[in-house]
Amino acid sequence: MRTSWQKVIFWGGPILLLLFITAGPLSSKERATEPSDFIPPERVADYIHAIIEADRTIYTRQVVGRMQEKGIVSAEEHWEQKNGLPLPAQFLLAAGRLVAEKERGIRYRLISLWPIKERNGPATDFERKGLNAVVKNPDQPHTGIVTSGKRRFFQALYADRAIAKACIDCHNTHPLSPKRDFKLNDVMGAIVITIPLNR
Amino acid sequence: MLLVGILPLLIGLVMAFLQARKEIREVNGASFQALAVETGRKLDLVIKEEEAKTRRITLDPEIIRILEERRDVLLDGDEATFKDQLDHEQEAWIKKDPKFLHPITQGPLAKILEGHYRGTISEKDLSFTVVTRSATRALYITDIMGRLMASIHTKVPYTNKEASWWKGAFNKGIGQTYLENVAFDNLLDTYTFSLSIPIMDSIGYQAIGVLHRAYDAKEFFAPSIDIIGFGKTGHVMLIDSQGIVLSCPLLPTGKRIEDARVIPLVTPRHPGWAPTPSDGHGGTETSIIGFTPLPSVSRITQQSTGTAWHMFVWQSSEELYGPIQNLFTWIAVFGAISFGLLITLGSISAGRIVTPIRRLQAAAKLIGKGELREPIVIKTGDEIEELADEVNRMNQQLESAFKQLKSHLASKTEEVQYLQESTTQILDSVPAPVIMLDSDEHIQYMNPASQDAFGLGNGAAEGKKLFEILKTDTKMRQKLQQEIQDIGQVKAESLSGRSTQEQQGASQLRDPLSPELPMAQNEDNRTLNINNRIYCYDWFPVKARPGENQRIGLVLRDTTEETRLHERLSQNEKLASLGVLTAGIGHELNNPLVGVIGFGEAILEETDTSQMKEFAKSIVERGKHMAAIIQDFTGQVRRQSYGRLSQVNLNEQLTQALKLVQLTEDIPSLDIQTDYQPIPPIQGQPDDIRQAFVNLIKNAVQAMKGGDSLFLGTQYTEGLVTITIRDSGRGIPKPFLNKVFDPFFTTKRQGEGAGLGLTIVRKTVTKYGGEIRVESTEGQGTTFLMTFPASYPPPSKEESP
Repeated sequence: MRTSWQKVIFWGGPILLLLFITAGPLSSKERATEPSDFIPPERVADYIHAIIEADRTIYTRQVVGRMQEKGIVSAEEHWEQKNGLPLPAQFLLAAGRLVAEKERGIRYRLISLWPIKERNGPATDFERKGLNAVVKNPDQPHTGIVTSGKRRFFQALYADRAIAKACIDCHNTHPLSPKRDFKLNDVMGAIVITIPLNR
Repeated sequence: MLLVGILPLLIGLVMAFLQARKEIREVNGASFQALAVETGRKLDLVIKEEEAKTRRITLDPEIIRILEERRDVLLDGDEATFKDQLDHEQEAWIKKDPKFLHPITQGPLAKILEGHYRGTISEKDLSFTVVTRSATRALYITDIMGRLMASIHTKVPYTNKEASWWKGAFNKGIGQTYLENVAFDNLLDTYTFSLSIPIMDSIGYQAIGVLHRAYDAKEFFAPSIDIIGFGKTGHVMLIDSQGIVLSCPLLPTGKRIEDARVIPLVTPRHPGWAPTPSDGHGGTETSIIGFTPLPSVSRITQQSTGTAWHMFVWQSSEELYGPIQNLFTWIAVFGAISFGLLITLGSISAGRIVTPIRRLQAAAKLIGKGELREPIVIKTGDEIEELADEVNRMNQQLESAFKQLKSHLASKTEEVQYLQESTTQILDSVPAPVIMLDSDEHIQYMNPASQDAFGLGNGAAEGKKLFEILKTDTKMRQKLQQEIQDIGQVKAESLSGRSTQEQQGASQLRDPLSPELPMAQNEDNRTLNINNRIYCYDWFPVKARPGENQRIGLVLRDTTEETRLHERLSQNEKLASLGVLTAGIGHELNNPLVGVIGFGEAILEETDTSQMKEFAKSIVERGKHMAAIIQDFTGQVRRQSYGRLSQVNLNEQLTQALKLVQLTEDIPSLDIQTDYQPIPPIQGQPDDIRQAFVNLIKNAVQAMKGGDSLFLGTQYTEGLVTITIRDSGRGIPKPFLNKVFDPFFTTKRQGEGAGLGLTIVRKTVTKYGGEIRVESTEGQGTTFLMTFPASYPPPSKEESP
């Protein structure tokens, strides 16, 4: 059973792509005047990234930060065993997993060139290139179309910075961390958002 | 007695055993834990490595490509068509249709799978170990619908969509490693556990299939677990957190640990050791178990099945505590032997030592009662025999001593009886009445004299109270009762002192010149009137038997005759005294009277007026002298009249006496020295005493012819007041010293004194209980010393006048 949203993506993707290929990139003014209900995947990714980042920031600052400051509960890696709070990175990954379980097609995760867990490293060349790109130019997301068999996907990598001291403290001291000289506001990795273009 | 020695030994032994058990438990517990941790860590690594190597297969690009194609076909195709197709394929698989089987077991995908399995297309260090490869019972790949895509053999199910491992690993296309617990696999006909790894598409977006690998649990774990053994029973085993045995050298795989109480004790999330109520292997004895969870594996199994895998190290209690139990048994055996020996030797010793001692003990008891007739016969040839001989000797000596004592006692008893009888005889024969009383005034004894005195028959008064037979007025009775009470308290010394005083009183009574003092007589008069006879009485204390009250004796002396005689004698003495007095007056007056008569006759014959005046002057002189003599006598008589006694200060009286003498005598050149100490008053009549002092001072002054020195002194020592009057006159010749106090003795010339002055002085002094003494050396002077008993102690110096 496909949802209406999935249908939009299913049909919208190829049409957009066709427009891109045949007409080339259009100016925003021109596109705005076109009577179209479709939203380009870059913008969709931007929307989603804004939400993810806002949620994670709220969690990091207003939940973890405050709880730890008041000595009520702290965030730690093995939070389930130790009855603590998930680390902000774990929060993001778990949320991504939950989104995936909803089977809406949209997926996101947190990857890095220096992951503590190997599975959080780049899975493809595109991701590796994207990570390098956002490290160099953090303000610009790295986007592109990737394929798996006949499946086509839009992927966008957004630089992920060390927004709290807890982030760098953990990565700079964890025994499995490959890089230990992070500073506040450094790009530690990227949030990769994957949007299927056909189904 | 034996218990005293054995009990601490037993307690000590048991405590040592328990302590040793405790220490063994703690040491072994720690060792078991260390072994569990070490084995667990190794197995954890083996499984992790196996997972990593198996994951490598899922990253094979060819496999991913084929499965991506398969996914695209399935997702783009029609669901109804696929369902029909599935039923058909399922049927073909069960029927083992070679056409259908071939692509799965021999197709390109199967070949790649086989290559990885055999290690032919893997890098050398990434290929499976021999152990894990041989333990592998199944290895196959499914598509996104759970349908079999490739397998190394045919003993596997075609469709797996409903299998929990498939659902877990595919996880709605997200993919997650899944480690399934041990379970019996019907197709493979063995206990297996499985590892399922999702195959992700080329961009890691979604799962496109699952790689499933099943292992023979026993074969997989045995090399890591079964080889580890210690002692006869000590071994390592692997269980999950439900208590299902994954691998154990003793228990079958898949079996649950019987005692459910043990499971929570050995499956915490941390390593440790614990004493458990049973051993988990069917034994019911308390056991020691070391344990640890497999950290990495458990994380996977927690996500997969919610359970964890735990390493478990155990050794049977029998073996664990065997050495200490053996030691304890041997000590107990040797202890029992020692105990037996102790009893045996003890009995022998008792036969040789205790029995003779008991006989001696019995004999000693008999000696104590004086009943040992036969000598003790003990022939042990040691100190006990010597002791028995000594006891026999002692018994003989005691017997003879006892006989002597008996005869001595008999003679003493006779003596006592004799003394008693003789005392009674003495008392009976005493003519004075003697009565014995107890402290309650009951009469205990009356001698015949007292019975006669009271007019009672023999024994008539015994047991009666004294005042039942002695009738007196109330005042007298109270006085006597008070005396009885006092005598009970007074000690022998004070008693004797009192009787001396009384004797003095008695002697005073007999002095014919001593005036009677009615008041004093009333207080000290110890006389009783019984049946119209007068008795002088006295109390004396009688020694009582120990524990009994004081006894009191009353002795009476019949003084009826004596009193009457004394009264008559007193009367005669008074008459005689009057005679002497009259003679004295006569004698004194006669001499001047002769002169008066002579001068009177001479006047009658004389005519010369001047001569007559001379004679008349002589007559007046003689008359004055006679008047003085009469005054002397009348004063004496007056002073003898009775007056009331009062407290007299001798210092005052001495001062007044001196003044009187100074008025009447011409003593301008006399040197008078006085030394008046503070003294208490005495009891007497002031006039009497002053007159006595006047007489003495006058005597002294006259002795010195109005010249030289006079000393007057008073002093108080030990209840006595002493008066000293000393002159420096011519003194008294020695032959006269004893006579100075006799009446009418005088050294003065005729007409100068009657010779009664010192007599009166002595009477006065003795009347008030005093004494007078004279010391004199001829030519040097005379000293009179008087002592009076003081009424009470003197005032302090500040208060003295």
